Amino acid sequence: MGYLNNAVVTVDAILTKKGRELLARGDGSFKITQFALSDDEIDYTLYNPTHPSGSAFYGQAIEAMPILEAFPDENQILKYKLATLPRGTSKLPLLEAGYAAIRLKQGASLAITPQTLNYLGATSTFEAGGYTATIADTRVLNNFTGVGINTDEAERLNSTTTIGTNVSKTVIGTSINLTATTVNTLFGSNTQLQTTITLIGRDSGARITIPVTIIKVNN
Amino acid sequence: MSFKRFDIEDIVISSDAAAAPAWSNNVVSLNQFYTSSDQVARTSGDYYYNVFQTSSTDDTAAIQFSIAYGDVVGSGSLDFNSNVQGLSPAQVIYKQYRTLVNGTEETDLTFGGHVSENIYAISIERARFKEKLLPGSLTLKLKTSSGEILLTDDSNYASTVVFGDAGREYELIEGAEGVRTASPQDGIYGYTVASGSYGKFLPDVGVLLLSGKALDLTPSEGGISFNTLRNSNTADNNNNLLYDALELGQVFKLRSEETISSNYVFVRARNSEFNYSTNPSNITGSGELRHDLMIDSPQSYITAVGLYNDNNDLLAVAKLSRPLLKDFTKEALIRIKLDY
Repeated sequence: MGYLNNAVVTVDAILTKKGRELLARGDGSFKITQFALSDDEIDYTLYNPTHPSGSAFYGQAIEAMPILEAFPDENQILKYKLATLPRGTSKLPLLEAGYAAIRLKQGASLAITPQTLNYLGATSTFEAGGYTATIADTRVLNNFTGVGINTDEAERLNSTTTIGTNVSKTVIGTSINLTATTVNTLFGSNTQLQTTITLIGRDSGARITIPVTIIKVNN
Repeated sequence: MSFKRFDIEDIVISSDAAAAPAWSNNVVSLNQFYTSSDQVARTSGDYYYNVFQTSSTDDTAAIQFSIAYGDVVGSGSLDFNSNVQGLSPAQVIYKQYRTLVNGTEETDLTFGGHVSENIYAISIERARFKEKLLPGSLTLKLKTSSGEILLTDDSNYASTVVFGDAGREYELIEGAEGVRTASPQDGIYGYTVASGSYGKFLPDVGVLLLSGKALDLTPSEGGISFNTLRNSNTADNNNNLLYDALELGQVFKLRSEETISSNYVFVRARNSEFNYSTNPSNITGSGELRHDLMIDSPQSYITAVGLYNDNNDLLAVAKLSRPLLKDFTKEALIRIKLDY
């Protein structure tokens, strides 16, 4: 992955894997209707409000940074979206899944019902558009589905099955159901399997990643 | 809050014609020609020769065009079966192009009003002519020991465009890059004395058909004494005649043309929009902004634009080459071009 030449402001645009898939499907689902902006790669600790040269230089370190080229993996880009909020907002939306980390024994099930904090004037709320949940390694779960959102896309994602390979799987719902794998061979000589689940508010853009540990109990 | 819908005027599809030299590496004039002895020796060599811009064994060798000889009665090549006289590769080639151009078996190929029973075909490789050939861009020099001729198409002079089964049809006339050079022959500029035009230029299928009858004329009649051999059931290898004439002529200029459809997307961020960042480095664990001064004077830095469908699927992504500062005093307009 190379850097973009930042001597002039240019735009490097590519289709994502998802975009190529929907374009190939040819069913009209490849139709751009909305956009979002993000500040991926920016570290706001580089913003220096005590810069001795004054406010024009607070963002100097950020504004000079080179930017990486676009990634085609839609899960690795547009991570941190910019939000439109009233001036004077002091708190930004956050996702609360109820778990800082998830530990499941083989065969055990769990339902996650995310909430969004500091959103639309409410301390805590459920987003009408639901949440997308992505498990980084789908092999560690026997069941991974979303419920509560009944759009065609949500139902298609929930019914998609990928077997045999270490790939991610994304579902949509207001509640996400997980059941840990019962397959012993995945563990090898280990007693635990580890992966992550990423939740994104489909309306707010707020995002949280939670580590997932599957504990071996079968011999 | 994070997504903004496009207005109708924000997405524009623009189709623009782009012309470029037809040959590999954008070479304007192909001056050297190579065949592959391997291909010529195989069965396909009975029908056509592939022509390369460099030695066919070179790593950069690419087929530029193919040449073929066609004869309506099959003369000039060996019959497939001695019991069926005239059914030969030469007859197959003639009838193949006759069907392509006329769409019927009832009329033979006609060039400027004159039927020619034998033809030479130059079929441009698809990757070279892209979508179509550009009328008025052709310069083809054919040379024999008796004479030489420069050929181009008459697109600049035709009052109406003739459409056949192979799309637009132009006559091949004496001249270069769309400009005729000869005085009127047979009553028409650039034609032979008694055999009509020199062939047809078919830009939509990437083919040049040369009239064997016209080329066989003597130089005083407008031809170059091609001396096409038309012996029955004989491998006369007439493809070699055209190849030799190209090699001696050393000039083949042609441009391709294609329509590129681009999707222009205009992303407009108003002054009041997209000023807050959900970036974890910008907020504390409880969601509070890291820097107090950003409560009333928030600043964000745009590095990426995501284009979504109604299902919030990320279809395309655009990265800016450097962060673009956004606050309540600034508006951003980003133009994204998607080609597909």
